[in-house]
Amino acid sequence: MKTVRVQAQVDMELCQGCKTCQMVCPVYAIEVSRVDGKPQVNIDHDLCVGCWNCEQRCPDHAISMAPCEPFDLATDVSKFDYDEIHALCRKAHFHPKQLVCYCTATRAEEVAAAILDGASDPAEVVRACGVGSGCGIECNQPILRFLEAAGKTFERHKLSYQWYGRTATVWDVSDQVKKEHPGFRFDSDRDLLNSVVEAPIDNTKS
Amino acid sequence: MYNKALPPAPTRVSQYGVDPKTVVKRGAELKNIVGVPLTDLVTGLPPVIFPGGSNDVAVIRKETEAALAKVDMSKITAGSTVNILASHHGFTFFGGQPYAEMLRTIKDVVEQATGCKEVRLRAGLGMRFRETEEYIKAHGLDEYFNGKALGIAPIDAGIPIETELGTLFGLRKAYDADFIIHAHNSDVREVHFHRQVDRAVKPFGMSYARCETRSTYHMNLGPRAANFVARSIFESEFVQSKFAFACFLTMSPAGATGVDADTDLYALNDRVTVGGMRDYGKIMTLFGAIDECIAILDFPCPVPYVFACGVIYANMACANMDVFDLDYPLPPYTWYTETMYDDHGNPLIPEVPPVNPAIKTVVHNYAWIGYPSVFFAEKSPTIVVGKQQAELFDRDPMNLNYMKHALLADNLDGAMEFAYHTTGTRKVILFDGAAGGLNVSEPLAEHLYKVAPGVMERVEQKLLPKWLAQRNVDPALLDQVA
Ligand code: SF4
Ligand code: SF4
Repeated sequence: MKTVRVQAQVDMELCQGCKTCQMVCPVYAIEVSRVDGKPQVNIDHDLCVGCWNCEQRCPDHAISMAPCEPFDLATDVSKFDYDEIHALCRKAHFHPKQLVCYCTATRAEEVAAAILDGASDPAEVVRACGVGSGCGIECNQPILRFLEAAGKTFERHKLSYQWYGRTATVWDVSDQVKKEHPGFRFDSDRDLLNSVVEAPIDNTKS
Repeated sequence: MYNKALPPAPTRVSQYGVDPKTVVKRGAELKNIVGVPLTDLVTGLPPVIFPGGSNDVAVIRKETEAALAKVDMSKITAGSTVNILASHHGFTFFGGQPYAEMLRTIKDVVEQATGCKEVRLRAGLGMRFRETEEYIKAHGLDEYFNGKALGIAPIDAGIPIETELGTLFGLRKAYDADFIIHAHNSDVREVHFHRQVDRAVKPFGMSYARCETRSTYHMNLGPRAANFVARSIFESEFVQSKFAFACFLTMSPAGATGVDADTDLYALNDRVTVGGMRDYGKIMTLFGAIDECIAILDFPCPVPYVFACGVIYANMACANMDVFDLDYPLPPYTWYTETMYDDHGNPLIPEVPPVNPAIKTVVHNYAWIGYPSVFFAEKSPTIVVGKQQAELFDRDPMNLNYMKHALLADNLDGAMEFAYHTTGTRKVILFDGAAGGLNVSEPLAEHLYKVAPGVMERVEQKLLPKWLAQRNVDPALLDQVA
């Protein structure tokens, strides 16, 4: 869950129309076009999750973050049968109470709920629960692992640098790699992560 | 009688920190703080080339030229394009001057030796997407590289790289040249993550990589297996076809010890591995022997990266465990560990070790945003000095919850008074980047002098041989590493 308090705004005096902002936005909230040769930047504030990516990458410092009426990106986990949430988490190799986004403190159960609620591509998952709207780095794979576990496939946007695809997990590492590189302790680490996935739910209540 | 406090690393103007003018008092100015020379505590440290004397970076140029004279650059021709790949870490040592000079020298030597005119700089970063832009500007590197110096961020355009782990993703701008030169520094830094396994290779899975790859490292593989990410990228046909050589500023907790360069990254990696374990292993084990303390964060870096004697605060948070010992799967802080606490702060499995209980309170006098740091405020009582810092953290998308767990003090003296009263300890350690030694309170200095000889003996006799054996590194290499 994240409360959005700032959103992106552009200063067209500074913008050169390079499209970087569009390419780095994780939720496709920006469209850059040219009208009569002049750049136009449209930021859709119904979509913007206040992640700062565009502000941080615009080469001309044309984007700033401005306070907005605060709103929440959240999915109510209690709307769903917890067994269903648990099953999806387990399929993605997460414990429902595990943190999957350090910046927004979003947990696996909420990502699962967002997908059960209809989110079907990474941008929709971000908008549904805030995961991925902080650093934009570390929760990338958990989001893609959840979508895959739920059987959701999506086309990567051509005009975007985001969401290149799911990569290997410790459950995918081949026997040959393990044999050739024993020093990396793949099986021992897999067992450790499995013990988290299988940790009881009841024990997590305070 | 102790020495007076050492000068802390200066504050820096950055969009990731408060205005230095608002940092009205540094920890080193507190009246009971003393400076302890590192050589009083740690035995067998190699001689330092920087800082020292007049702190002239000419010594770095000389060392870099000498190291590069032994490197075969025949792959690179006059018509080649070359990217020198750098990382933000190097710029955090001594304001970045020595590292910047090493980068300039690499450019000059490559141009002279090969006739190549297209040598660019690509500087990777952590999570602050403009950080290396700031360093490039501060050190005039853009002009030096004829307008061809770029900060590269993990959300920039990617390039697929086929590896033994399947497809991973690098940054297109890192690899948009015929050849790459891997220019890094050797301090152990995030040993809680990399565990001194393939330390010299890590940037291939991090600074030069897309967010997909970095997330693979921190989320998909497990705390020790993760280190295979960098190796698999480095060993890919794609990277091997471009790799020219590596050039490292070699470091000890006391400063830069030299420059090492090699076309064989694994040979360099072995040297970096042994030197790092021998020198940083001692100071980190000594930090683990601190029984109780108040930690003051006071350095221009995000919370876990502020450092004392080259050891970052994240390692202090893990100092209750031997993070070099690979038999322990999980350090008290890694991103895997952080995921393993539930919403009530309880560990999901018993194997999760607690954050170093010797840290009784953290006084956050000066540290930056731009790294998800809430874990540290959740796990150790934290007092933030000054409302400007609190406001900065409140608007950082990576630290929206940091101040929910931290107290706010008007000034450093008030924060310290509160910390003394509530913890009952007078032992204070500063993570302020002081060169050549530690700033600590007198009671902690006394404790360190008492325990240091035993710690040094334990590292040399018991721990170091174990660490080396776990990594299959020949102990004879110790004699070859300055
Ligand atoms: S990144 Fe900046 S300059 Fe480029 S199109 Fe967006 S606002 Fe304009
Ligand atoms: S702040 Fe983030 S979500 Fe909003 S427009 Fe910019 S890149 Fe997109």
